[in-house]
Amino acid sequence: MASVSEMYDVGWEEMRDKLRKWREDNRRNSEQIVDVGEELISEHASKLGDDIWIIYEQVMIAALDCSRDDLALTCLQELRKQFPDSHRVKRLAGMRLEALERYEEANKHYDAILQDDPTNTAARKRKIAILKAQGKSTEAIRELNEYLEQFVGDQEAWHELSELYINEHDYGKAAFCLEELMMTNPHNHLYCEQYAEVKYTQGGLENMELSRKYFAQALRLNNRNMRALFGLYMVSAVHIASSPKVSAKVKKDNIKYAAWAATQINRAYKVSHKLVLAHNIQTSLKPPHLHRAPNVFTAS
Amino acid sequence: MLLLKLCILIESRQLGVDIHFSPETMPIQLTSQAYCKMLLHAAKYPNCAVNGLLVAEKTKDRKKDSEPVLCVDCLPLFHGTLALAPMLEVALTLIDTWCKENNYIIAGYYQANERKKDSRPNQVAEKVAARISENFSDAAIVMIDNSRLTMSCFEPIVIIYDHHENKWKSRDVTLDSFEDWSEAQKITSALLEGRSYENLIDFDNHLDDLRNDWTNPMINKSVLDLC
Repeated sequence: MASVSEMYDVGWEEMRDKLRKWREDNRRNSEQIVDVGEELISEHASKLGDDIWIIYEQVMIAALDCSRDDLALTCLQELRKQFPDSHRVKRLAGMRLEALERYEEANKHYDAILQDDPTNTAARKRKIAILKAQGKSTEAIRELNEYLEQFVGDQEAWHELSELYINEHDYGKAAFCLEELMMTNPHNHLYCEQYAEVKYTQGGLENMELSRKYFAQALRLNNRNMRALFGLYMVSAVHIASSPKVSAKVKKDNIKYAAWAATQINRAYKVSHKLVLAHNIQTSLKPPHLHRAPNVFTAS
Repeated sequence: MLLLKLCILIESRQLGVDIHFSPETMPIQLTSQAYCKMLLHAAKYPNCAVNGLLVAEKTKDRKKDSEPVLCVDCLPLFHGTLALAPMLEVALTLIDTWCKENNYIIAGYYQANERKKDSRPNQVAEKVAARISENFSDAAIVMIDNSRLTMSCFEPIVIIYDHHENKWKSRDVTLDSFEDWSEAQKITSALLEGRSYENLIDFDNHLDDLRNDWTNPMINKSVLDLC
């Protein structure tokens, strides 16, 4: 089986940098992380310096995702040796138990951390993750709400809660969570766009008008957000303009919004097709042996 | 922590609490391309719920008790949060147009839930299927049984639901549910081993970058090459 470095003709520094980029972007491409990380650890551990500990953590979590308990255990043991009393490492041990579906033991692990340090947010979140994994959505939602009363600024938690509510079709409460996120992140176009989607799903003319406003706001913040563009079109053309309850002026305005959105969408497709066409022409002109499978190291 | 659905070898279990019945609706049949793309979609996002549509060729006169409905292709839609309406409506609109251009009709809906042991159709599945049923009365829901997803694909891992007396009821999935099971098995297994799922495009990917083609011509070609 060819090594990663052979297959992609990369050195250990590139592999290390790739892992760092994936860490920074919070990517969950676990198979790739395992491929790259396992080779880096086994062949180049001495060159990594202090980076190796965070790499062990990253690779361990990815290994759990891929059912590679052997690799996960190796990483965990190295971390335990280096940081014997660390709560961060204990949390990783708990995650391993979760992966093995030993939820009782995992919960005990996290309870022990919390006894020692009641402000340990990571352990509390893992406990909520266990509830989610067990399908106990109502309890997960309740615990997460309690958590947020204490840690009101935890954006990741607000976002998780919005998703839990969406999955339970409680769109009103999901909207509330997204409102919190928009307040603290007014420049984030993704929250605006998601809020607009939730309002749209809730339905009713008032929610549709709100939805349109927030799709528009998302576009102001990022005019290339295709979901916002499509959303704006759908809400204006399909739901507002064709509603029998709107005044003639509102109808006229929304037809205008829809027409604008449609033009932008068509333009976006033209641009992307030109790029695809250009790429296809370029690709077909290359000699066949240079066509390669997608390269983990050049793709983002 | 949600487990990866791949790499888990578990013995096949009897599923389906619902009473099996003799259906009045036409059974659907899956081609290798339709089956393998569903599984590739599930494999690409092991920690998410995924869903998509199944399309059949439009025939002028469909009589009941003639041949089963052959789902020739599958169009992967979303991963992660499935319960929001706007992008789903966009997808249905665009795919409807595409179907008309290619003489297809949307004949079914598939879904793989987020959790490994959960393979029942939920409200989202029923809502989308109801929408599809407006244009195609024999629409089916195909659920993927995550707990039996393996690289070798030694058995079919889908559960097919038909609408019967206002409820969705599961039917026996036999080899007749496939145009050619051994071909489907061979192709799906080969593409999973080769990690082709990394290149599978769903509608979410398309919305992230319009250059991404949700008809998946590259994967379709790979399927054809393996036939």
